[in-house]
Amino acid sequence: MKIGAFEELVLLAVGSLGEGAYGVAVKELLAEKTGKSTSIGALHSALYRLEDKGCLVSSEGGATNERGGRRKKYYTLTATGRNALIEANKLRLEFSKNITGLNLEMGE
Amino acid sequence: MSNSQQQRPPVWADRLLQRLCAEEVVETIQGDLHELYFKRRQIHSKIKSDLIYFLEVLDMCRPFALKRRKSNNSIYKAMYYNYLKVAWRNLLKYRTYSIIKIGGFAIGIAAFILISMFVKDELSYDLHYRNQDRLYRVINVYNDPADFGKWTSFPAQIGQVLNESFPEIEMAGRLIVHDWFDAGNNQMRRVDQVINTYEEGFAYADPSLLEILEMPMIYGNNATALSEPNSIVLTKSKADKYFPDRDPVGESIVLNDDEEKTFTVGGVVADLPINGHLQANFFITLAHREFWPGEQTNWCCWNYRPNILVKPGTDVTALEEKLLLIRNDYVDKYMRATGNQNADDNQKYHTFELQPISDIHLYNEGIHDNFSHGDIKIVWLFVAIAGFILLLACINFINLSTAKSANRAREVGLRKVVGSTRRSLVQQFLAESMLFSFISAVVGILVAMLMLPYFNAIADKSMILPLTEWWFGPLLFGFVIIVGLLSGLYPSFYLSAFRPVEVLKGSLSRGSKSSTLRSVMVIFQFSTSVVLIIGAVMIYRQMEFVLEKDLGFDKEQVLMIQGIETLNQQTEAFKDELLKLTAIKSAASSSYFPVAGTRRNGNSFWIHGRDKIDRAVDGQNWGVDKDYITTMGIELVEGRDFEDMASDSSSIIINKRMAKELGLKDPIGTKLFTWETWNVIGVIEDFHFENMREEIEPLALRLENGASILSVKLATDDLPATLTSIEDSWDKFMPNQPIRISFLDDAYERMYEDVQRTGSVFTSFSILAVIVACLGLFGLSAFMVEQRNREISIRKVLGASANTIFQLLTMNFLKMIGIALLIAFPIGWYLVKEWLNDFEYRTTIGWDVFALAGLAVLLLAMITISYESNRALLTNPIKGLRSE
Repeated sequence: MKIGAFEELVLLAVGSLGEGAYGVAVKELLAEKTGKSTSIGALHSALYRLEDKGCLVSSEGGATNERGGRRKKYYTLTATGRNALIEANKLRLEFSKNITGLNLEMGE
Repeated sequence: MSNSQQQRPPVWADRLLQRLCAEEVVETIQGDLHELYFKRRQIHSKIKSDLIYFLEVLDMCRPFALKRRKSNNSIYKAMYYNYLKVAWRNLLKYRTYSIIKIGGFAIGIAAFILISMFVKDELSYDLHYRNQDRLYRVINVYNDPADFGKWTSFPAQIGQVLNESFPEIEMAGRLIVHDWFDAGNNQMRRVDQVINTYEEGFAYADPSLLEILEMPMIYGNNATALSEPNSIVLTKSKADKYFPDRDPVGESIVLNDDEEKTFTVGGVVADLPINGHLQANFFITLAHREFWPGEQTNWCCWNYRPNILVKPGTDVTALEEKLLLIRNDYVDKYMRATGNQNADDNQKYHTFELQPISDIHLYNEGIHDNFSHGDIKIVWLFVAIAGFILLLACINFINLSTAKSANRAREVGLRKVVGSTRRSLVQQFLAESMLFSFISAVVGILVAMLMLPYFNAIADKSMILPLTEWWFGPLLFGFVIIVGLLSGLYPSFYLSAFRPVEVLKGSLSRGSKSSTLRSVMVIFQFSTSVVLIIGAVMIYRQMEFVLEKDLGFDKEQVLMIQGIETLNQQTEAFKDELLKLTAIKSAASSSYFPVAGTRRNGNSFWIHGRDKIDRAVDGQNWGVDKDYITTMGIELVEGRDFEDMASDSSSIIINKRMAKELGLKDPIGTKLFTWETWNVIGVIEDFHFENMREEIEPLALRLENGASILSVKLATDDLPATLTSIEDSWDKFMPNQPIRISFLDDAYERMYEDVQRTGSVFTSFSILAVIVACLGLFGLSAFMVEQRNREISIRKVLGASANTIFQLLTMNFLKMIGIALLIAFPIGWYLVKEWLNDFEYRTTIGWDVFALAGLAVLLLAMITISYESNRALLTNPIKGLRSE
C-alpha cells in the first residue's frame, strides 16, 4: 500500500489519537505537531481516501451538543494502515541512505 | 449554548453545503465545520467567522464530498430531448392552434422590439456630454395661477449677469434659434459665388457655447472659433457642401445677398448628433453684436436662451434660489423704470428653474423653445401599449394551452403512472412554452424587420434593428425566457395537477374547468382592444376637427413664396408682375402667417397714455402689407383696411380679442401704445394663428416692408401651369436664387403632425391588439366547437334549427364581449377626455364613437366565432357521432 506524505501524517495523527480520532481532533493535532494549519477540506479528503484504501476504518460516534447534535465520525488505524506506515518509513530510510552524512534513524 | 442564535453559522452557507455535498458525508463534515466555527467565534468577530465558514464550505468542493450526478445526467438529457420532441409533435399535430399561439406571440414580440427601440432612442437624447450632470438651461417660471407659464428666453444682458454674478456658474452661453435677424433660415452663398442656396438651421451663439455644449471641432478651436465679430461656424456636412475638401477657416460667406456684411468662417464642428435637442447647421457669433443701439443692455426684449455649465458640486436648488437676483436687480428695475403695472405681480410670481440639458427633449412642459421635442407621456404610453399587446399574446397562450389540456391529459396521466414527478411535468410544459417562445421570437424579429420602415415613418425616426449590437442577443434571450416562463407557468401547473386515475378513466371534464379564468382573459383582451380603437378614432376625429374648423382665414389655394427678402426694393414690382397673371387673385407680403415656422413678435399693448396705470395686454404685433387681410380672407368686422404706407404708417388693425382685453367698446379711432403710438383703424374677426392647443391671443396688424414671404391667393384649376408662370416671373427678378414655394394648407397641416403621428401609432397598435385578440377568440371558439361536436350532432339529429345551434355556440362569447365593452367604454372615455384637454379647441366626444368601436369589435368577433361555428353547423351530424 503506497501512501503520500500528507496521508502519512494523517495516519500518524489518527494512530496517536487512538479512540478520539475525528476530523477536528486530527486537524488540531496536525496543527500542533507540524505548526501549520491544515484545511479541513483537504483533511477530510485525505481521510476518505485512506478509508477507501483500507488504511482506516470509521465508526459513527454519539451526538454532542457543541456540534448541533451532529454525530462525529471516528477513525481507527487498521493493520493495513500500520503496514503502510512501516512501508513508508522504510522507503524513507532506504532512500536517505544514499545521502552521505545523513542519518535518519534515531535511537538504534 | 445559551445564545445559540448568535452562535450559529450563517444558514445560507449551511444550505449551500447541503446542496453541494452528498448526503452520506454531509453530517460529518457539517459537524466538524460547526465545531470549528464555534471555536473560532471565541476569538474572532462574527463576520470573520462567517466568512471563514463560507470559504470552508467552498473548500468542500472536492470529489469525495460532492453529490454524484454523472449517472443521472444522460437521463436528464434524454428526458429534455423527449419533452422537446413531444412538444414539436404537438405543435405539428394541432397546426391551427400552434399558428395562433406563435402568431400572437410573434406580434407581441415584434411590437415589443419596435417599441423598446423607440423608447431607447427617445431616452438617448443629449447623453453625449462629458459634463452631463453640470449642464443646464435656465427657465423662467411665472407662477400666477391665472396665467401660469414657462419660457426660456431672456434679455441680452443675461449672459454677462450669469457669468459675473454667480460664482457657481463656470460658463454661461446664450443661444438664439428662433427666426430673428439672421437666425432661422437664409439665402446663402460663398463670397465668390453668385447663386444663392436656401439654408436652414442658423443660430446665434456666444463664443463660449461651443465649449459648453462640447462640440467637437473639425477645423479651428472650440474656444476661439466664434470670438471674432461676424464669425460663423459651420457643421461638417455644410462645410463639405460649400468648401469641399479644404479647411474653410478664414473664408467668407454672404447671407441674403448682403455683401456689405460678410461672415468669416471661424471653424467647423462635427455634425450635431441627431439625438440631441439642438439641431443647427450654422452658428453666427454673438460676440460684439448689438442688434440696435443699446440693445445689449436693455431689459425690454426677451430673445436669448442661456445654457450654463455649473461648477462641480453645485447645489442646483440653492442656485435656482440665487438666480432671483436677475428678477430683483434687473427685471424689476426695468419694469419700475418704465412704469410697468405688472411689476408687483412679477416680483410675486416670477422665479427661475434650472433644467438639465438631457431633460430638454422629453420634459418640455409646454415651453416654446423652437426645438422639436419628444414627450415622456408618449414614451410611457408606448411602453404601456407594448406591455399590453405582449400580455394579450401571453393570455392567448395560456388560454389555448389550458383549453386544449384534454388532449394532453392522457399523456400527463400516463407519464405519472410510469413514475414522472409533478416537478418534471412542470419542467416539461415550461420547456414547451419556451420552445413556442423561441420560435415566436424568430418570427417576431422577421415581423419587426418588415414593419420597421412603416414604424419609422409614423414615429418620425430612422432606427435600424440592433441585431449586431452586443446587448441585443442576450436581452432578447432573457426576454424570451421570461415570456416563456410567464405564459407557461399557469398551464404547466394546471396540466401537471391532473390525477392519473381520473384522467386515464376518461372522467376528466374536458378542459372546461378553468372557464371563468378564460372568460376573464377574453374580456381583458377585448377591453384593451376597444380602448385602443376608441383612442384611435378620437384622435382622427380631433385631426378632422382641426383641419375642417373655420379658422377665420382661408387656407385653401394660398401659395407662400419664401425668401423674398432678397428682392428688397423689387418686392412691389414682383407683386405687380404676378398680379398680371389671371390665375392670381391677390398677393400680400409679410413675415407673419398663421402657421408654424413663420415669424412671431410679442408686444405689450396699452391704451395710449395709460401705460403707467394699466397692466399691459400681451399680444402679437404683426407687420403685413395692405393686401394681407384680403389675401388671407380675414373678415374685417369694423372700420377699414390699410390703404398705403404713406397714410397708414402708424395705423393699426386689431382683432376682437385685443379689443376685448383692452376693454375697448368702440375701438375705431382709439390710440394704442406699444413703444410707439398707434391709431386703431379697424377690427378683424379672431382667427386661429397658433396651434389649436392654445386660445386665440390678442393680435394687431400694422404695415411693414421687408417681409420674407409673399402669399398668393390663386383662383385656378390648372395649378401646374400657374406654378410655372410664377416661377418664370421669379426667375426674371431673382435669376440666382431658386424659388421656394409651399402651400398654406400644407403648412397648416404640418402643425398637427404630432397628432397625426399619435393617431397612426394608435391605429397600428389597435389593429395589432385586435388581431391578437381575435386569434385568441378564434382558437377558443374552435376548441368549443370541437368540444361540443357530439352534442351539436345530437341536437341536429333531434331537429334543432341552425339558428338555435348558432346561438348556443356564440351566445357565451358575445356575452363576454358585451362585458368587455362595458368595461372599456368608461376607461376609453376618460383617457380620451384627458388627451383632448390639451386642446383649447376640441371636438366633442360623441356616443357614436363608442357605438362605432363597439360595433366594429362585435362584428369582428362574430366573424371570428362564426367561422368555426358554421363549420360545425354545415357538417353532417353522422360525422360527429360515428366515432363512438
